[in-house]
Amino acid sequence: MSRFFTTGSDSESESSLSGEELVAKPVGGNYGKQPLLLSEDEEDTKRVVRSAKDKRFEELTNLIRTIRNAMKIRDVTKCLEEFELLGKAYGKAKSIVDKEGVPRFYIRILADLEDYLNELWEDKEGKKKMNKNNAKALSTLRQKIRKYNRDFESHITNYKQNPEQSADEDAEKNEEDSEGSSDGDEDGVSAATFLKKKSETPSGESRKFLKKMEDEDEDSEDSEEDEEWDTGSTSSGSDSEEEEGKQTVLASRFLKKAPATEEDKKAAEKKREDKAKKKHDRKSKRLDEEEEDNEGGEWERVRGGVPLVKEKPKMFAKGTEITHAVVIKKLNEILQARGKKGTDRAAQIELLQLLVQIASENNLGEGVVIKIKFNIVASLYDYNPNLATYMKPEMWQKCLDCINELMDILFANPNIFVGENILEESENLHNVDQPLRVRGCILTLVERMDEEFTKIMQNTDPHSQEYVEHLKDEAQVCAIIERVQRYLEEKGTTEEICRVYLRRILHTYYKFDYKAHQRQLTLPEGSSKSDQDQAENEGEDSALLMERLCKYIYAKDRTDRIRTCAILCHIYHHALHSRWYQARDLMLMSHLQDNIQHADPPVQILYNRTMVQLGICAFRQGLTKDAHNALLDIQSSGRAKELLGQGLLLRSLQERNQEQEKVERRRQVPFHLHINLELLECVYLVSAMLLEIPYMAAHESDARRRMISKQFHHQLRVGERQPLLGPPESMREHVVAASKAMKMGDWKTCHSFIINEKMNGKVWDLFPEADKVRTMLVRKIQEESLRTYLFTYSSVYDSISMETLSDMFELDLPTVHSIISKMIINEELMASLDQPTQTVVMHRTEPTAQQNLALQLAEKLGSLVENNERVFDHKQGTYGGYFRDQKDGYRKK
Amino acid sequence: MASRKEGTGSGTTSSSSNTGAGGKGKGKGGSGDSAVKQVQIDGLVVLKIIKHYQEEGQGTEVVQGVLLGLVVEDRLEITNCFPFPQHTEDDAEFDEVQYQMEMMRSLRHVNIDHLHVGWYQSTYYGSFITRALLDSQFSYQHAIEESVVLIYDPIKTAQGSLSLKAYRLTPKLMEVCKEKDFSPEALKKGSITFEHMFEEVPIVIKNSHLINVLMWELEKKSAVADKHELLSLASSNHLGKTLQLLMDRVDEMSQDILKYNTYMRNMSKQQQQKHQYQQRRQQENMQRQSRGEPPLPEEDLSKLFKPLQAPARMDSLLIAGQINTYCQNIKEFTAQNLGKLFMAQALQEYNN
Repeated sequence: MSRFFTTGSDSESESSLSGEELVAKPVGGNYGKQPLLLSEDEEDTKRVVRSAKDKRFEELTNLIRTIRNAMKIRDVTKCLEEFELLGKAYGKAKSIVDKEGVPRFYIRILADLEDYLNELWEDKEGKKKMNKNNAKALSTLRQKIRKYNRDFESHITNYKQNPEQSADEDAEKNEEDSEGSSDGDEDGVSAATFLKKKSETPSGESRKFLKKMEDEDEDSEDSEEDEEWDTGSTSSGSDSEEEEGKQTVLASRFLKKAPATEEDKKAAEKKREDKAKKKHDRKSKRLDEEEEDNEGGEWERVRGGVPLVKEKPKMFAKGTEITHAVVIKKLNEILQARGKKGTDRAAQIELLQLLVQIASENNLGEGVVIKIKFNIVASLYDYNPNLATYMKPEMWQKCLDCINELMDILFANPNIFVGENILEESENLHNVDQPLRVRGCILTLVERMDEEFTKIMQNTDPHSQEYVEHLKDEAQVCAIIERVQRYLEEKGTTEEICRVYLRRILHTYYKFDYKAHQRQLTLPEGSSKSDQDQAENEGEDSALLMERLCKYIYAKDRTDRIRTCAILCHIYHHALHSRWYQARDLMLMSHLQDNIQHADPPVQILYNRTMVQLGICAFRQGLTKDAHNALLDIQSSGRAKELLGQGLLLRSLQERNQEQEKVERRRQVPFHLHINLELLECVYLVSAMLLEIPYMAAHESDARRRMISKQFHHQLRVGERQPLLGPPESMREHVVAASKAMKMGDWKTCHSFIINEKMNGKVWDLFPEADKVRTMLVRKIQEESLRTYLFTYSSVYDSISMETLSDMFELDLPTVHSIISKMIINEELMASLDQPTQTVVMHRTEPTAQQNLALQLAEKLGSLVENNERVFDHKQGTYGGYFRDQKDGYRKK
Repeated sequence: MASRKEGTGSGTTSSSSNTGAGGKGKGKGGSGDSAVKQVQIDGLVVLKIIKHYQEEGQGTEVVQGVLLGLVVEDRLEITNCFPFPQHTEDDAEFDEVQYQMEMMRSLRHVNIDHLHVGWYQSTYYGSFITRALLDSQFSYQHAIEESVVLIYDPIKTAQGSLSLKAYRLTPKLMEVCKEKDFSPEALKKGSITFEHMFEEVPIVIKNSHLINVLMWELEKKSAVADKHELLSLASSNHLGKTLQLLMDRVDEMSQDILKYNTYMRNMSKQQQQKHQYQQRRQQENMQRQSRGEPPLPEEDLSKLFKPLQAPARMDSLLIAGQINTYCQNIKEFTAQNLGKLFMAQALQEYNN
């Protein structure tokens, strides 16, 4: 009965069901719409009326059939599963069984199954061949059935003695069942069962529909009542365990509500026999599937949401005067369905759009239109029940359009007030005299839109054309945000302005401002700019924009998070545009480094991104040490990818569960914001090289030498482990090869390894001012090579002419002079400068390798002797202390 | 090449080792009642050992082999040898004993002396005094009394002078090893110090007259240029390496001493506790006696205070021995080099 309607229309209960169910859905969808137009047309609905007993027994027979099939193919695992289900189903049918006695077919399957299992058990050969699962299932099942059958012992022996008869009886019984009035009820069937059956007749149902038809025009508020009805009828079918307690209640209820006659029932029975029989099999199967799925818990079928919503043409009855009140009522009606289970969200959106049309057609004023539009956008967001899934492109487009329209209206009508704190009651949608007040927050909508955009970008393959297509929307998103910003600047509170500014900042900070860059380049050349250029450059410099927005936030924001984000973005933007000192000062002033670990992960990711950008910026400025320090944290962990939110690490995949992974996935930064990881690593390694190689050369024989960069050393070791050293291929190999060359003071080779076609393509060309970076790099390499050379080979020279050095490293004399002077001042190089001859005179103060070794040996021998003496002390003064003083004396010596 | 070097070197090496061992020989004279007074090596054996290292040994890896020969009076004559095959990880079940027996049987078939008289081993910068060497030499000497171990130093040889030395364990050490007791007391009782662990046996390299004739002939034909290595002035590398090794040993020694030190400390602490316990006991007994009660029963002190395990001293003895050899090496090497340097200086001055 009602069950068949519900299968289709209650999509929410099905969404969790198996795929098969979904196939059945479209059919159900028809039913779902039908109730509205429905008369008592039973042929169409193909309703089946069955008694609880029928239903239970059918369930059992179905299960038995599967078991038999499984037995035939020797699938013991399946048998076990089904047997367990069978046990449960039997438990459910217990009340009926109690009344009617144990059905023969049930006994038969139990007996057969036991025999079958014993047979399998004996068949040692077969058992060996069985796979592990099956064998396991066999033993489990065997034990279970033994235990289970103990309860039915008498029945089974009975059956075994006389299997023929019982089979016949079974068939007979089936027939009887189909006739509806069972013989088993001989011993005085309770009135309840009888009445219950009656209650399930279509007449009751049809009445309900009739009632609904009446209700329909007024309102669909009777859904509550509907539910009540449903629970009433369904529970009678499913909760057979509770049945006994309820019977009297039910009986009275049905007596009251369904005064169907005996004839009615008979007629229904007949109809069923004639027509429904054909469909019977298919349907019962479907039913059973559902039942299987629903087993173990009570289930309740809810009649599909508010079916009325789907009735497009019946939006308003013809001739109804469209007034504010009617439209608002309608809107509320639609909105009530929102969020409820089983609401067709797509249809709801359509409906709302229709409503907007109607509203605007009837000139109901902008207030109503805005209100409805707000709701459209909200339902667009609601369309996806899952947080992880992203909007479909068409939805997205719709959403953008809708927001744009909304903005249009808001700009056109400055007398409309929009706010989330306007109460529903105090809304003013049509009174034109007073300013219109509409509940709703445009900012929230836009923020949500931005999030959706991020989600879309996250879920699109970044290397596809699709991504590019989506990325084109970014401009639109920015435009919308800009409009909202303008709107809120006029009307919004400071808080709102801060929020929208942050949105704006988030869309600006990562973009390199080429226009401003160009302008900067051309500026010194002369002010002869054409007007056209002027016009082109009209747009605000992103730097100025950032400055303005961020300053506002710094001044006005009261939530810490927005300010933190703004600062980080500001720093990022500075760093991106090579304003190193501003960026660094801002970073230091903000004290973010101290407390960033308390921030939430997205902010931390932003912080990491900023630090990386800062490091790269320092590198571009030639500040190797700062670059190295900024990148150290990110690079040394080896998880740069994860820390920057640019991908998940496979390694830690096992460590987290699905939920965590989902969360992490949501944190990922969209691809167009990514920082090139190879560039990052290369910058890090090159700066490490520039620091580490001279350091290594200077402290070659120092036992207490420590590493500056572990990762760099790791790369060097990897390079050394290579059995066969070919020409470098990857970026790392290039750096390693360059380091080796630098170690020898061979700057030309080093240079050719660091800057060449391959490296240009991979790394250096990614910088906005690639050439400048390259020149800086060459210079750095020359300087550091010179230092390394002096460290390594100073012991071989008595004196060396600075001119020679300047020739060797192609540096001009003053630079060489300054580098050497610096080294001498820092006591790194034991030498002095001879001004008249422009030579460096080495002082031989550094011990040679042998001398060093000898010194170390002497040190070790000293400690050895001391230890030895302690042994001697023990020997001499085991008890006495008079040697102690002497020992101290030794030490002092 | 090698034959030449050896041919002319035979006189010098034997003499140098003779003198080297002479000094020690006197020291050991009293106790040196060992069966072998001299080792006479066939030129063939020397060449085979050198060849073996050349082919298989590199860096710190060590090559080993078996010496064959016979004992004539108090002279051990080594007339032939064969190498142990190099060990690889994958044929772990390779049976060395089986291989040796096979080899010896085969050699007997071609009428070669098949008496097992010891073994040889190459060394890396003179580091050979190890536990492994001690153990295997002990088992050799235990089984065949006359066994010697020949130590071949390829690095020194490459510098121009053949370095081949024959060693045996001293009888004292043999006894200690037999007892397998390396506690400080046992070593003290055996009066074993690092100087008295190994005794060097003088070596004579002997060639047949025919070969000697051939040598003389070859010497006339060959140029002098081949003897450069002996005069090479580049010495720092060798010295550095030896120093490094020496340093490592000193470190080990230091640790060993520390271990011994803690042992001593624990020992004395225990001694004190024991003493206190005994005193207390005595006092109590005295009191009991005065009260007329029977004295407390005697308790086993060793149960109450378990004797501490003394650290084995063998390792430190070995290290000390090794340090000794290093020092000797360095001394020898520097002495030679100083000579060379003075020579070069004189030459320079003369040329100027």
